Amino acid sequence: MLDLIIRFSPLVLVLVGAAAVMLADAFSDKGQSNDLSTVTFWAFVGASGGAIGLWVQGDTMALHPLVAPFLAADPMALLLDAVIAGAGAITALLAGAYLREHQMERGEYYVVMLLAAFGAMVLVHSTHLLSVFVGLETMSLGVYSLAAFRRTSPRSVEGAMKYFLLGSFAAALLLFGMALLYGATGEMELAAIATALVEGSAHNTLALLGTALITAGLAFKVGAVPFHMWSPDVYEGAATSVTAFMAVVVKVAAFTVWVRIAVVALSAANLADPFSGWPPLVMGLAVASMLVGNLSALVQTNVKRMLAYSSIAHAGYIMVGFVAYAHSAAGGDEGAGDQALSAMLLYLASYAASSLLVFGSLIWAGSKGKEVVSYEDLKGLGRRHPWIGVAMMVGALSLMGFPPTAGFIGKYYLFQSAVNVGDGLIPLVIFAVLASAVGAFYYLKLIVVMYMEDQEQEAAQAVPMRSVHLWAAIGLAAYFVFRIGIAPGNYMEIAIGAARAL
Amino acid sequence: MNTSGLMLFWVSAAVALGSAVGTISMRNPLRAAVSLLIHILSLCGIYLSLKAHLLATIQVLVYAGAVVVLFIFVIMLIGPTANEQRAPRAVGTRILGAVGALLSTSVLAFTLVRHDAQLLPIPQCPPGAGAECGQFGGVTAVGAELYLGSMVPFELVSILLTVAIVGAIAVAKGKTTATSPKNEGPTTPEGAA
Repeated sequence: MLDLIIRFSPLVLVLVGAAAVMLADAFSDKGQSNDLSTVTFWAFVGASGGAIGLWVQGDTMALHPLVAPFLAADPMALLLDAVIAGAGAITALLAGAYLREHQMERGEYYVVMLLAAFGAMVLVHSTHLLSVFVGLETMSLGVYSLAAFRRTSPRSVEGAMKYFLLGSFAAALLLFGMALLYGATGEMELAAIATALVEGSAHNTLALLGTALITAGLAFKVGAVPFHMWSPDVYEGAATSVTAFMAVVVKVAAFTVWVRIAVVALSAANLADPFSGWPPLVMGLAVASMLVGNLSALVQTNVKRMLAYSSIAHAGYIMVGFVAYAHSAAGGDEGAGDQALSAMLLYLASYAASSLLVFGSLIWAGSKGKEVVSYEDLKGLGRRHPWIGVAMMVGALSLMGFPPTAGFIGKYYLFQSAVNVGDGLIPLVIFAVLASAVGAFYYLKLIVVMYMEDQEQEAAQAVPMRSVHLWAAIGLAAYFVFRIGIAPGNYMEIAIGAARAL
Repeated sequence: MNTSGLMLFWVSAAVALGSAVGTISMRNPLRAAVSLLIHILSLCGIYLSLKAHLLATIQVLVYAGAVVVLFIFVIMLIGPTANEQRAPRAVGTRILGAVGALLSTSVLAFTLVRHDAQLLPIPQCPPGAGAECGQFGGVTAVGAELYLGSMVPFELVSILLTVAIVGAIAVAKGKTTATSPKNEGPTTPEGAA
């Protein structure tokens, strides 16, 4: 029992944090101000530390037979635990600043956030269709209610309602796909599904249909085109601290579980065939996401909507690595496959750090009633408030992929891994590079507006907020953006190690 | 499956399909709720034809007994004559929707009908078999699977329920109470409950 608690200490610590916040909120006197965001921050830091400690220890002892089929404690899960908990820690600080400034702070926010992050962590540990589904629903229900947290704003409620209805539909698709896969193989454990599929006792057409439905359900969660309709509305309507949490934690967890299902369960030759299995499906999603995401981001006037479309485009880039993995696995090149997987993991981490920095700067630039919404509000911000300008500029450059930031390393490593696979993927890589060149346009527009344009005299100016929480969050995010960007060496090693162990 | 089991299956399946269409197409919310009730009861028949007795019982108790009754309560509270205001939808959208639905349904139906997977047999109890054979789909068998085999997902569901409850409170409170805790008045009995 103690062994299990230690092996899953990141998950346990997040749950303990949730219970602590719930109790602290319930037993505090009315009017007494609690710093629940700091409690949440330390719970996440503890979980992150637990994951790092377990990684260093490198324990490979077998798990209890009751747990082993459902949850793994392998290096990939630990790495993503650290990323999710780290992102959770930063978003907890952002929430502490944002909610207090906008007078929406209620204890439930932190409880739901911790539990949603717990669902995300279950998801990255899952090795069984049942735990995948329960983890996904735990995360999604939490995020739906966080999206609706700003109840006084009709936009927030509208976005949350759309997200809830479409998300439930996607969950039904996923569940149907799982049922078909179970019908085809008679197994629910990912490794056992793979065995049944390879040994030929499974039914192929059913498995293929199940794969397609599971892909559609997960593509919704990562926000890939054509399952992206919800994301601009939700990103725009939700409180900015929620948007940051959604953009990072949900995307990271959904991609990880997608990778695990595809790599572990759907690795049979006919399903993972580069031309007739799920890889061409993923390639189509990648191309559509890069195209639609980047082109739509160009024409947005609202900064949060622009970031929503840019996150759709980023999902497209990550799927390039997915396709590269499938092609190298089909060619029997394990080294290139591991490289592609590790490039995806590194990209997820760098995307998380850069997104948090941009959303953090957006929160920083506004205060109650004077939020930054459009490009108009950002005009001249860089000269009026140099620190905010620098933070947002670094974040935007990192999302764009400019050295020496994390985004550059992520993109470089990802595209390189796709090129290494062989000539077949060169057109896809060229397309991705062109797409990110289009992306450079709207990120640079953000910087140009901040530094080179002047606001009209009578326009309402956004007033920056002052909060220690926020400064700490920005500092942490900026640290990771430069840490991955300047010295990515051991992060790459960790990602490679995680990919090898899968 | 024997003849009576097959008959139960086909009748239940036909009623389930019909009432499902009724649920989404009825204009009157009360009729839609009753169609849902019929749908749930016919699903119960399908479970019975698969020898899942416990699941069938739970279906009646939880869905028919609790969920639909709750729906009907809410509909009666709002007023059963409350009709939604529908904006007239363009013909193009309707045709597109119908084609999409038809296509996806036929792909699914085609694959499912044309499958060559071996069907997993439902355990049949020959006369004179032990008592444990009849347990398939019963309380003991389902309980053992739920609490022993699938203990981890079962425990994870408790977290799922917690996040659902706290999330519902978070959303509901946002509208009713003042956002700053200092402005809150004395707790009302409703608020405490």
